[in-house]
Amino acid sequence: MSKKKHLEFEINLIPAIDLLSVCICFLLLTAVWLHVGALNVKQAVGGQPASESVKKPTVWVQLDGKGGVAFDVRDARVPAKLAKAKIEGKEGKPDLEALKGLVTDLKAAEPALTTVLIQPQAATLYEDIIDVMDSFKKEGLIDLGVAPL
Amino acid sequence: MLSTSIVKQTAFHSVIGESSIIAPESERKHRNIVADLLLTALIDAFSILVIFLLMSFSSTGEILYLGKGQELPKAAAGDQLERNPVVKFDDGKVYIEDKEVSGDGLVEALLDLRKKFQETRPGEEFPGMLTVQADRRVKYEQLSSIVQASAHAGYSDIKFAVVMK
Repeated sequence: MSKKKHLEFEINLIPAIDLLSVCICFLLLTAVWLHVGALNVKQAVGGQPASESVKKPTVWVQLDGKGGVAFDVRDARVPAKLAKAKIEGKEGKPDLEALKGLVTDLKAAEPALTTVLIQPQAATLYEDIIDVMDSFKKEGLIDLGVAPL
Repeated sequence: MLSTSIVKQTAFHSVIGESSIIAPESERKHRNIVADLLLTALIDAFSILVIFLLMSFSSTGEILYLGKGQELPKAAAGDQLERNPVVKFDDGKVYIEDKEVSGDGLVEALLDLRKKFQETRPGEEFPGMLTVQADRRVKYEQLSSIVQASAHAGYSDIKFAVVMK
């Protein structure tokens, strides 16, 4: 007499649960909940003769302690209105919406514009400097510099 | 033993329970204690948890140690943080790699770090990278000395630590 083989079988799920539990414990312990990044700034180190340096279109940005942002665009073909623009602060903070609009216009007028030199004042908050730098980076002005006092 | 115990004999009986048509108490059978667990649903939930945690896993590890009450500024266009010498400004004091330095000794300490790099990795070009960690409410007059000192010591690439939006 030949016995019929059972076609129904059950997978043993206990090892799978053990494995997943260990994975979850390990990942919970090593999880990073706060994503820390970095805003890169290139500082000028040393000097270079003026004759050797190639003049690149540059935006000089002055930040005051009340959120005001004053532009001075040099070596670029942009309308005078944009080149010497000034944005007043909004409740003591930089008006990021207005800043974004102005940077977009500048980039449209001079696509080669990638360099920004930020000149904060003593009372300028670090957070405001980062906000302004972040706005420039978002619009493609990636070569940032911060001038010391 | 239980059937003859005083508790059994004197226990109150529910009249409603005994006269129930659907499941009279006196005729109720013992339930089977061994219950079938739905393991498939459990594995599904565990798998989703593992996928979510794997997505938030970071292999770079902790580079910065945030002090109590210290809040980093937020930015959206930041890059990934790399392992560089960390200059921390916390509570009016400046630290290089968690070692306190005076304002005047900052350039010297940075030059020492540079010297150590050149000694340990001869022939390799000095990258000149530095990570600055400071609270978002700090005024620039307190950070300017760090920017100035790093330029003096030949660190041309400053990375301001931010929390990614």
